[in-house]
Amino acid sequence: MSAVELRLEFEDLLYYEAWLLDHDRLEEWLALCAEQVRYWAPVRANVPRGAEDWARPHMLAHFDEDKGSLALRVQRIRTGVAHADEPPARVRHLVTNVRVLDGDDEAATVTSNFIVFKNRRGREECLFVGCREDRWRRIDGAWKLEERLIILDHDVTENITVLF
Amino acid sequence: MATRADLPAPTESPRPSPQGRPITEWDELVDLQQRTVSPRVFTDSDVYQAEQERIFARCWLYVAHDSQIPRPGDFVTNYMGEEPVIVCRDAEGRVRVFINSCRHRGMRLCRLDAGNTRMFQCPYHGWTYDVQGRLVGVPQYHEAYYGELKREEWGLLEVPRVESYRGFIFASLAEAGESLDAYLGEMKWYLDIVLNRTAAGWGMLPGVHKWSVKGNWKLAAEQFGGDNYHVTVGHESMVRLGLVPPGKTSGDEPWVRDFQVRTDKGHGWINLSIADPPAITEVTGAYQARVQIEARHRLQPAQSALVGCTYVGTVFPNCSLLSFAGFLTVRLWQPRGPKRIEVWSWGMVEREAPPAVVELARKMQILTFSPSGIFEQDDGEMWGESVEAMGGVYRRRFPLNYQMGAGYGRRDPEKPGLIHPPSTEIGVFGFYEQWRALMSGEMGAHT
Repeated sequence: MSAVELRLEFEDLLYYEAWLLDHDRLEEWLALCAEQVRYWAPVRANVPRGAEDWARPHMLAHFDEDKGSLALRVQRIRTGVAHADEPPARVRHLVTNVRVLDGDDEAATVTSNFIVFKNRRGREECLFVGCREDRWRRIDGAWKLEERLIILDHDVTENITVLF
Repeated sequence: MATRADLPAPTESPRPSPQGRPITEWDELVDLQQRTVSPRVFTDSDVYQAEQERIFARCWLYVAHDSQIPRPGDFVTNYMGEEPVIVCRDAEGRVRVFINSCRHRGMRLCRLDAGNTRMFQCPYHGWTYDVQGRLVGVPQYHEAYYGELKREEWGLLEVPRVESYRGFIFASLAEAGESLDAYLGEMKWYLDIVLNRTAAGWGMLPGVHKWSVKGNWKLAAEQFGGDNYHVTVGHESMVRLGLVPPGKTSGDEPWVRDFQVRTDKGHGWINLSIADPPAITEVTGAYQARVQIEARHRLQPAQSALVGCTYVGTVFPNCSLLSFAGFLTVRLWQPRGPKRIEVWSWGMVEREAPPAVVELARKMQILTFSPSGIFEQDDGEMWGESVEAMGGVYRRRFPLNYQMGAGYGRRDPEKPGLIHPPSTEIGVFGFYEQWRALMSGEMGAHT
C-alpha cells in the first residue's frame, strides 16, 4: 500500500471512530480497541520550555486505561444513572492533521489533532483540544488500537465525561 | 481583625421569627436551632467576598507537602483562597510562603507550577528576590532610583505563619492565632491513622489533577467532611456495577469501624470498613499486612484497629482527603467565585510501597476520583446543579435541611469527637457551625 493510500485508510478509520463516539455507539468503539490496549492522557503542567515529561514513572493522568477499565466506563454510561451524562451531552469530535508515521500493512503510528465540543443543558458547554499519538495493528484482518496517547492542551480541564 | 462594620449588608431587614425570636442575619444564614443553612450561603457574592477575609485570610490552609520541596530552592505555586502564593524552601531549609505578586507593580512573580531556583525575577521590570524573600536586585537602581529606594522595605510579602503536621505544610495569613496543632485539634487523631501508620510516611506522585467545576467550594468540602448519605443514589451507577455495596449505609460495624465524626474546629471524618475487592488485595495484600503490623507499634490500639478502612475527611475549610481502593488523594477546593470551584488534587503513596502497589493506587485514583473519575463526575454534577437551582429569588428564601442525626451523636471513650454511624449530618453541620462562628465574628480573630 502506498503512503497516500495508507493515510486515506487511516483518515477513514479515524473519522469512523469519531462518528461512533458522537453517536453513542460506544460498544462498537470499544471493539476497535485491542485486548491489550493502553489508552492514556497525562496531566499537563506549566514548566520551562522543553521540560515537560509525561512519561515520568507514576505520573498522574486524566486517563490511564486498559480494555477492562474502558469497558467499565461504557457499562457505567449504560446504567442510565451516570448523572453527569444523563441526560447525555451532545458531543462532536472534529479530527484533523492526520499523519501516518512508520506505517505498513501490519502496523502504523498515526498522529491526529482533535477538537471535541460538548454541550448540555445550555450553560454546560466546553471544548477539549489536543492531539493523539496512536499505535494501530492489524489483527485478524482489521485495524485495532494498541496504544493511544492523548495530549490535552489544557492544564486545568473541565469534568471529563467524553472519550477522545 | 474583622469587625462588625465589615459584615455584608443584610439583603432583607431583620424580622421576627414565628416564635417571636429576632432573626439576625447570621441566624438566617445558618440557623443553629433548626439546623438549616440558607441557599445564600452558597450563591451570594457578598457572602463569598466576606469569606475571603474571614475564612481564607484567617484559617490555617494547606499549601504543600514536604516531599514536593525537599531541597533548598525548591518551590511550588499554589493559592490560599484566591491569593496566589509561592511555597519555597529557603537556603537554610526553612519553608516560607510568599504572596506571588511583585512589590513593584503587582505582577505575578512566578508563573511556573514548580521548580528550583535561587532567585525569583519579575518578568515585568526585573525586580529580583532571593528565596528568603529579600529584594536583592532592582534594575537601574542608581540611574533611575538614584540609589535611594529602600530595598529592605520592599521584600516579598511573606505569609506570616507557616507550620506543618507530619509533612503537610499549612499557612495562615493571620498574624497571630492558635498553632496548627491546636487548630487541627481532635482531627489529628484520625489523620494519624493514615499519616503516622508507617515511619517512612507519604510522598506525592508527580503531576496534579486540576479541573474547574460549577459549584460552591463549601458543597465539596462538606461532602468530603461528612456526607456518606449521597453515595447510594449520587453514585448509583457504581452501585449497579457492583463497585459500591448496595443497601444499608450504616456498614457492618456501626459505631466501631463504620462511623462519622464531628471533631472540634469544624473538621469532619468518615470511616468505613468497606473491604477492598480481591482484584486490589491481590496486589496490595502483602504490603497492607506489613503496614498493619507497623501501625500496631506506632498507633494507639483504637487507631490501629481502623487501619485499612476507607476514609474521607475535610480539614476546615477547604482541604479534603480520601483514601479508598489503595490510594490517598489530598485536594484543595479552590474558591473561584460563589459558583465555581477549581479542584487541585494530588496523589499520594507511602514511600516504601512497592512499585506494583504504587501503580495500582495511581490507576485507581485516575479511574475513580480524577476529572474523568467514575465517582468524581457524579459529584461535580451535584455541586454545579445545586448552585444553579437554589439561587433564585424565591428558592433562596427557604433553607436547606441539615437535621439528620441531630442529638444522636455519642462520645466514645477511645475516639475523640462526636461520633455517629453513617449516615448522619452531625459532621456536615459542624462545618457550618464553625463557618458561622468565624463569619459572624463570634469567634475572635485569634482563635
